[in-house]
Amino acid sequence: MELAYALNKNTACAETRNDSCHAAGNKTLLDAEPGQTYIIKEINTDDDDMNSFLFRLGCYQGEPITLISKKKKSCIVVIKDGRYNLDQMLSEAIII
Amino acid sequence: MRIAFAGNPNSGKTTMYNALTGRNEKIGNWGGVTVGSKEFQLKKEFAGDKEVIAVDLPGAYSMSPFTPEEGITSEYVRTANPDAIVNIVDATNLSRSLFFTTQLLELGIPVVVALNKTDINEKEGTKIDVNKLSAKLNCPVFETVSTENKGLAEMIAKAISLAGTTQKAPYLQADIDLHDKNAVDAEDRKRYSFVNGIVNEVETRKTLSAETTSADKVDGILTNPIAGILVFAVVMWGVFWVSQAWLGPLVADWLVGWIETFQGWVAGQLENSPAILSALLADGIVGGVGAVVGFLPLVMVMYFLIALLEDCGYMARVSAVMDPIFKRVGLSGKSVIPVVIGTGCGIPAIMACRTIRDKRERRATSMLTTFIPCGAKIPVIALFAGAFFNGAGWVSTLSYFLGLVLIFLGALLIKGITGYKYRKSFFIMELPKWKAPSLKFAFKSMMERAKAYIIKAATIILVCNTVVQIMQTFNWHFQVVEEGAENTSILASIASPFAILLIPLGFGVWQLAAAAITGFIAKENVVGTLAVVYALTSFIDTEELAMTGGASTVAATMGLTSVTALAYLFFNLYTPPCFAAIGAMNSEMKSRGWLWGAIGLQLGTGYTIAFLINQLGTLFTEGHFAAGFVPGLIAEACMVAALILISKRVRAHFDEQYELHKASKAAKAAT
Repeated sequence: MELAYALNKNTACAETRNDSCHAAGNKTLLDAEPGQTYIIKEINTDDDDMNSFLFRLGCYQGEPITLISKKKKSCIVVIKDGRYNLDQMLSEAIII
Repeated sequence: MRIAFAGNPNSGKTTMYNALTGRNEKIGNWGGVTVGSKEFQLKKEFAGDKEVIAVDLPGAYSMSPFTPEEGITSEYVRTANPDAIVNIVDATNLSRSLFFTTQLLELGIPVVVALNKTDINEKEGTKIDVNKLSAKLNCPVFETVSTENKGLAEMIAKAISLAGTTQKAPYLQADIDLHDKNAVDAEDRKRYSFVNGIVNEVETRKTLSAETTSADKVDGILTNPIAGILVFAVVMWGVFWVSQAWLGPLVADWLVGWIETFQGWVAGQLENSPAILSALLADGIVGGVGAVVGFLPLVMVMYFLIALLEDCGYMARVSAVMDPIFKRVGLSGKSVIPVVIGTGCGIPAIMACRTIRDKRERRATSMLTTFIPCGAKIPVIALFAGAFFNGAGWVSTLSYFLGLVLIFLGALLIKGITGYKYRKSFFIMELPKWKAPSLKFAFKSMMERAKAYIIKAATIILVCNTVVQIMQTFNWHFQVVEEGAENTSILASIASPFAILLIPLGFGVWQLAAAAITGFIAKENVVGTLAVVYALTSFIDTEELAMTGGASTVAATMGLTSVTALAYLFFNLYTPPCFAAIGAMNSEMKSRGWLWGAIGLQLGTGYTIAFLINQLGTLFTEGHFAAGFVPGLIAEACMVAALILISKRVRAHFDEQYELHKASKAAKAAT
């Protein structure tokens, strides 16, 4: 019971965080237009290893990122000279 | 002398390694094909009279590992002290690759940079000033194309000549506290700006990589949730159809003719020898092994087609399009790659799970991937399709489809048991540039697998068949079993107790039980053993059988109806794979609990599927349940009870861990 509660709370936190992001006028990759290049403002995956992995691909604050196409649950981006498919959760974590 | 091959994923390390050593290691156009290190001697033409060992390592983006296979690479270059490092750099993505290069240059080991895939750069009009890059990096740089052997000889000669010297790094990380995350971040940032500086100076691009190209339009379709999955289904169906219903059987028919001629010749030669010897050699060895080898063309065509798929770059797209579906059942899009590789062989498939970052997803994938019938199961499918279903193509299609369904159901079950409902699982997959698949590589890969198949048939399967033949010929007093008293043979008395368990499934006879058991040694054994125990060796020629009515002889001898035959086939397909694959599972899972869970799940699944097909099928065709319905139901109830018990224990353990975590947090807050 306690577990379920804790987990629910967790997701609730995630939602509020997103809301606050939107309130601050921050756009994520999900709000981007295909074909446009953006500068990454922040990477926020809540996962240090993931953040540093993205860093090593050249996906970090201040670097350009280009959206090639967007689907309901994923998108294709260009980082440095490589094309990557990102899922929804990762796209949301990249603030542009 | 050892030379390590390191570089980013999908930069062409293994292709280069194969070209330099003459090996045939698995290659493919996506990141993460190589998941373990491999070493072999360089060819004489490259090494001269020196003994040089090349070490192929999994791809890595940096020295800090993210997935388990990346860890192998950083650990190797750090601790194994190779005499030189060949850093393979994907010339089409210089800006990303040099990050790792500058880290390798800091190790003090001489580095030679192989600027690979320069042919693509030429096509795209990207120019890299090699001399300037070499000066900036303070190490030799060579332009190479490993697929065409271009530039390799000069590059490797330089690496050999440099061995033993020390490398001066062009960029040194400042002395920082490596535990301080912010300091590390700042250092990495500096390193990247150093790299960006180099790239700006040496690289000129005609087409910017951010421009949308026609390849992007294709990717758009292939990663579309509806169109992409449809295309994948059609492609896989095409592979199975060509290999198992059209081209494969065509070649197999021809091959089987030769095997039968050979068997006849052997029998003729042995005409005057004792009957036992003739039975052992002609029926047991030639017949049993021949039965397995006869299916080789099906397997070879399949390997060829899969190799083409792997080489063109499609796998990354499949993985991307399947991610949302796989995520829903608690796996990752990367789980698709083991599944596709698993159509060839379960062992590399299980090893390919290493590229999955999440431990639970990784273990679950390696547990489930063998539900997809592997190459060794093709003979079993083809045999039953031929003998009981007139060679109908739907049997094979259904086998693969059901395998996929079982993966989904199994994943849901694991998700339910482990109780992780809300968790973050990110998916990122590099989409490599498309390339025309190389027929030469596909042919080589096919021949390599064919060789392995024949070796297996000539060793493990041969031995098993001989043992089965001997066990069947003699009783425990080592007397030849008399005709009509087959049930007294050693084999019969060992297999009979198992056969009782199989009564609810519709095939509770010792011959079939024995074949299923030998199948755990190698799945082809099912066919070999059936050939031996029923003394039927010509059943592989399905088309001829259908014409001569031989298929019905096979069916009649085995005493199976089409319902029980299907149940038996599926039992063999979805029970645990061969011991070798179980061993691979063990080393990937690194957990006894998970391994036993996997074996239990697979046994339970095979049993349940066979039980359902037999009982429901019999009910449907004959209007009543088959024999052993109630005992079978009891067995099923026991399995469900075991599942609930395990689930409870796992969840309790999870709660416990969570509590501890909470307690430590509270303690922290209090202090």
